[in-house]
Amino acid sequence: MEMQPREQAATESPDSGGGEGRPPQVAGAQEARPEDRLTLLLRLRAQTKQQLLEYKSMLDASEEKTPEQIMQDKQIEAKIEDLENEIEEVKTAFEIKRLALHRMQLSAALKKNLEKINPQTSVLMDNMKHILKLNKLIMKSQQESWDLEEKLLDVRKKRLQLKQASESKLLEIQTEKNKQKDDLAIMENSDKIKTVQQNLQTEIQVTTVIQHVFQNLILGSKANWAEDSAFKEIVLQLEKNLTMIK
Amino acid sequence: MSVLRPLDKQPGLNTATILLVGTEDALLQQLADSMLKEDCASELRVHLARSLPLPSSVDRPRIDLIVFVVNLHSKYSLRNVEESLHHVDATFFLGKAAFLATGAGRESHCSVHRNTIVKLAHTYRSPLFFCDLEIEGFRATMAQRLVRMLQICAGHVPGVSALNLLSLLRSSETLAPEDL
Repeated sequence: MEMQPREQAATESPDSGGGEGRPPQVAGAQEARPEDRLTLLLRLRAQTKQQLLEYKSMLDASEEKTPEQIMQDKQIEAKIEDLENEIEEVKTAFEIKRLALHRMQLSAALKKNLEKINPQTSVLMDNMKHILKLNKLIMKSQQESWDLEEKLLDVRKKRLQLKQASESKLLEIQTEKNKQKDDLAIMENSDKIKTVQQNLQTEIQVTTVIQHVFQNLILGSKANWAEDSAFKEIVLQLEKNLTMIK
Repeated sequence: MSVLRPLDKQPGLNTATILLVGTEDALLQQLADSMLKEDCASELRVHLARSLPLPSSVDRPRIDLIVFVVNLHSKYSLRNVEESLHHVDATFFLGKAAFLATGAGRESHCSVHRNTIVKLAHTYRSPLFFCDLEIEGFRATMAQRLVRMLQICAGHVPGVSALNLLSLLRSSETLAPEDL
């Protein structure tokens, strides 16, 4: 179902500045009208200039060849982004140049002005002196703040170094402790130690048996071992319980 | 003619023409009235259309700015605008076209999601305005903005062109859909 697109139009005539369609006011109109006409003409001139510029730029743009092949969406988007970035860069460069130009013009005008007037009594000189004072103050406080920042940075560096040193020391202590623990554990669990301990045990047992054998021999012989000091010593030594020596 | 081109006619002296495309006749009429109430040094002409293509029988001046009005409450208006977009020449989207979404205030009635229209505006690289055209104050502000835009697009403001305005209007919000 197609709806016939309707179209309506509404217009309004200009209210101020364009005095052509309006009945002229009575008082002071004769001087006001040429003024209005002039502003109107100047405005129209500016408008026409701008429109001419737009048409010219469109012509220049259409002379550029556009790629005819059908590209992917993503590529088109990327191209559009690049072109927009280009536009932005050109605009900023233009603005910077305009700023520089204005500054040069300003300083040239200022120089001429200073040459014309008496430099001692001018408000401009007062302003400039004030500006210089403020600039000196700014530079001084900037220097001070820079120094303070440097000090702060030094203190921070020292703190960091101390922290790092303490960290390394603690790490050393910890590794030492761990090593000790490991060594102890190794020593306790080593196989060699175990075999040595086994051997010790067997030797102790053998010696105990030998001790008992000798004891029984001496007791069985019914000899009086308390009389001879060397004999007494030997018997007492045989009494020693070797398992306690471990 | 089936396709609207921006620069195929000579501009009228001191005249600026805006074309409002949308299905909500009452809202468009109200917006047109608000725009005409604005005081502006140039002569304003407001054309209203339901959809494009426009009938070629009518003799109309050069159109400087097209505003596509989408009502977020109805999907039909969005579809209508999308179909009308085919009848507009690509060079219009170099700053002479804009989208206006109305009805975003009442979230519960919105059947078109905000992101849809944001994506549409991003695809066509045109500015997008949100405005509740039913509220008098917002409508007056929007009318003021549109009148200023129209003056720039018609070339009545020396030193600013439509393309310039377009890149100025490009803000960080228009970059958000790329992250989506």
